Amino acid sequence: MSKIKKNKKNVFYDPSLKRRHFKSKLFKYFTLSSLIVSLAFLAIFFIDMVVKGSSAVQQTYVQVEVSYNEQSAENYRDAVDKKYLELLSRAVLREIPMQIKKNPSLLGTTKVAWMLADDQVDMYMKEYYYKISNKDLATLTELIENGRVEKKFNTIFFTHGDSKTPEYSGILSAMIGTILTLAVAMFVAFPIGVATAVYLEEFSEQNAWSEFLEVNINNLAAIPSILFGLLGLAIFINLFGFPRSSALVGGLTLALMTLPIIVVSSRAALRSVPATIRQAGYGLGLTKVQVVKDHVLPLAFPGIMTGSIIGLAHAMGETAPLIIVGMIAFIPDSPTSVMEAATVMPAQIFTWAGMPERAYIERTAAGILVLLTVLISLNAMAVYLRKKFEVKW
Amino acid sequence: MAKDKAKIVVKDLNLWYGDKHALHNLNIEIQKNKITALIGPSGCGKSTFLRCLNRMNDLISSVRVEGEVVIDGKNIYDKDVDEVSVRKRIGMVFQQPNPFPKSIYENVAYAPLKHGSVKKGSDCDDLVEQSLKSAGIWNEVKDILKEPGTGLSGGQQQRLCIARTIAVKPDVILMDEPTSALDPISTEKIEALMLELKKDYTIVIVTHNMQQAARIADMTAFFHLGDLIEYDETEKIFINPTHKKTEDYITGRFG
Repeated sequence: MSKIKKNKKNVFYDPSLKRRHFKSKLFKYFTLSSLIVSLAFLAIFFIDMVVKGSSAVQQTYVQVEVSYNEQSAENYRDAVDKKYLELLSRAVLREIPMQIKKNPSLLGTTKVAWMLADDQVDMYMKEYYYKISNKDLATLTELIENGRVEKKFNTIFFTHGDSKTPEYSGILSAMIGTILTLAVAMFVAFPIGVATAVYLEEFSEQNAWSEFLEVNINNLAAIPSILFGLLGLAIFINLFGFPRSSALVGGLTLALMTLPIIVVSSRAALRSVPATIRQAGYGLGLTKVQVVKDHVLPLAFPGIMTGSIIGLAHAMGETAPLIIVGMIAFIPDSPTSVMEAATVMPAQIFTWAGMPERAYIERTAAGILVLLTVLISLNAMAVYLRKKFEVKW
Repeated sequence: MAKDKAKIVVKDLNLWYGDKHALHNLNIEIQKNKITALIGPSGCGKSTFLRCLNRMNDLISSVRVEGEVVIDGKNIYDKDVDEVSVRKRIGMVFQQPNPFPKSIYENVAYAPLKHGSVKKGSDCDDLVEQSLKSAGIWNEVKDILKEPGTGLSGGQQQRLCIARTIAVKPDVILMDEPTSALDPISTEKIEALMLELKKDYTIVIVTHNMQQAARIADMTAFFHLGDLIEYDETEKIFINPTHKKTEDYITGRFG
């Protein structure tokens, strides 16, 4: 915009223009600054999580001699040299007698192995706050000098469930719990939600009753999620007697919560299908089913998919209703069916966040990163599906 | 006019949108193999009347219809008549070209296949070809039958919609301002097509374009505020109308 000068010949000169342009500029920068603030919040959160969680990628291992003999078959404390006992993960040591029982040929052998270190050793190696006695610290320093302490990639985090020893705890069982719970929620909420939307949009007559329903479906979508947890507890556990803490109950509860979101978004998708398509169908003497199934639903499908996936992604990050139905349980072994006790990722993160040990902090952050990765992939999938099934006009 | 040539006989037709009385006591006989044009200012009820002829108004829950629409001796509002079978015999073409977002072939073949009037295969291929030929669009689309119908130009889309309607083998084709969204050249093609189609079909067309009514219609009905003011041969309506209102509208004094 070039400057318009006051000039008798300039018929377009307007004295108020300067002030008005200034105001619109001000408005533009106000909206821009809001965007910057929200982006800054997001960036701070992500950077903080990545910084805190990145150290969980590695875990400390100590090289020691493990002897499999009569004593260690009875008591794991005899499997390694006494001075290393406090430096090693108790969870791994405890498994030695079981290994011998499973594989008796190990008896009488000794081997030099990389054993998982105790969480305090790990904290020491990662230069966080640690609590190790002077005697153990001296042993550890000696081991480090001999190159017998190493940080390796933390496979345990991705292959194990929760544990009371932080170095041995992982996200796997919570991940499987999340998958099972979401599967139940999807199989229940998607068909019921879409069918409800089709009925309301295509079949029901517009009257006071349908308006009442519409208002209340929107209300349901806004109900605090913890109330759905109470509903799930009352109906699925107390009335139907389904096993508590199970993915079945959690999934059904999340389905209740997601249902209104799916109904509302599916209705919007159905409503956005142009009326001319329905008229064309009816004008050809087609029945309602033929028009809805073959012409309206395919056009509404991308919108329905997007709404449902976003609803499920929302349900996936939900914790409160699942705490009520007992899915905050301590689950070391991954559930193999929807009837078994399970926990979900956000509940796992919540549990770890409340633990006193320093080593759980990095696990909390790493858990959040895993959860966010899955959430972002789900949303990316929603965008992809939308693009793929979108009908070109 | 000879009674046996009447295809549609409308007797004392009244229609309400909720409390609003939209059509008042209409009586009209629409003749076989003729083009009947419905003209009148916006909101006069001509489109509403057109939709009464194939019971499209049934889709609006607030609409109530009284009176008779007798087609081939049967009142289509009788209790033992299903509106779906009415629409099968009374086809409809809309203002906005509205092909399904499917291939050109599927657009034409979909309804006959669903009605069971043809089986998949060569019968169906023949029907599609015949319908597209009747709609005068075969030469333009014969090589692109698998392409989406929505990729055609507006005029081609409208002829595709006519082909789709013909494929169901109706007796009557209702057209609701079929050329108002089209350019003059496409309009000309569709008008020529209508003159061709009236040999086999009875056509009722709603139009805002009075020259169009004068060019193609055999009979013209003038509607005003839900009343049928005048219905006669097109020449009579345009050259020597009986009613003052008709004359005022046609000469452009209101509308």
